[in-house]
Amino acid sequence: MMKTVIRAIPSLVLLLTLPSMLRAQDIKLPVDVEKLSAKAKETVEVNMDGPMLRWASKFLSAEDPDEQKAAKLITNLRGIYVRSFEFDKEGAYTPAEVEQLRAQFHAPDWSRVVGVRSEHDGDNVDVFFKLENDRMAGIVIVAAESKELTFVNIVGPIEVEQLADLGGEFGIPKLNPKTLPKSASAKSVAKAEKGEQK
Amino acid sequence: MKPLRVLVLIVCASTLAIGADHEFHGVVRSIESAYSVHHTHIPLLGVVLFLARPAGVGGLKLAVFEGFKTPTDVADLSRVIENSLGPDWHPFVKVRSKGETNGETTIIYASPAGGRLRMMIVNVEPSEATVVELNLSDRAIRRWMKEPGEEAENQSGHRSHPADD
Repeated sequence: MMKTVIRAIPSLVLLLTLPSMLRAQDIKLPVDVEKLSAKAKETVEVNMDGPMLRWASKFLSAEDPDEQKAAKLITNLRGIYVRSFEFDKEGAYTPAEVEQLRAQFHAPDWSRVVGVRSEHDGDNVDVFFKLENDRMAGIVIVAAESKELTFVNIVGPIEVEQLADLGGEFGIPKLNPKTLPKSASAKSVAKAEKGEQK
Repeated sequence: MKPLRVLVLIVCASTLAIGADHEFHGVVRSIESAYSVHHTHIPLLGVVLFLARPAGVGGLKLAVFEGFKTPTDVADLSRVIENSLGPDWHPFVKVRSKGETNGETTIIYASPAGGRLRMMIVNVEPSEATVVELNLSDRAIRRWMKEPGEEAENQSGHRSHPADD
């Protein structure tokens, strides 16, 4: 019985380690991708809809300017949804299945801002921005690895500058490009450029 | 006037408690009905839950179903739970791992209200299912939001080692 109680704690941990996950509202997972959950060794789905996000923003301090910036960003969002599939062997999903997912973002109001293709380990990452009246209205991230597929959908108005304000909140590390080691940054960029195939 | 105020407080608190119990028991009854199982009676469970609760966690309720056969369709289980919960509850996290002997499904619904967060956690293993309801205090929520990783380690008693990374 105690074991059962203790077993519930990681679930609690999982749910509050939240800052990220979701089911799509504007964007739907194609049926074939939904079927991947049957093949996946592990499937994780996290949903933070508007009311939940607005409620969470109230816990950020009104006296801390950084926390207030984060609260402002979160309050305006309509949802954050994450879906992640982990497979026990490579080739569990086909490139065509992922392409079905990416194809939704070929619409005029979507722009692919990042596309990384690694020939070395097969890790592919795409980041799409949705623009409405020249303002960002959503972000989708599709990360496809050999044994893992992750889909993140952030729905709602976002200012790019506000994204950095989330650093230091919800366990997200503070990001300051000036503090990054120059050698590491240059190496990462060179590696990305080498493996990238747009 | 003071006794009257106390009485009003007690009545209000009882009403809230009954409301919360209603949803927890609703989920338990729905699972019993949908999957033809009965939860196991555990003597002194309330006392144990009170003593074992982590800091900032209150209102712990627990029901254990032994001999539970994992449903083939997780979506069906989600529907059973959702039909028992009111509109204030939101689907939050769903984790499913495959395996005939060690497969596991965890479904978490959350109901934020004021400074508290209520959670309904349903965990299904090959031969056992568990329903847990708990309330997180505002202090606990702030701690979790600020340092989720550290709090997770504190609550679970597990410390990650550099080698783990």
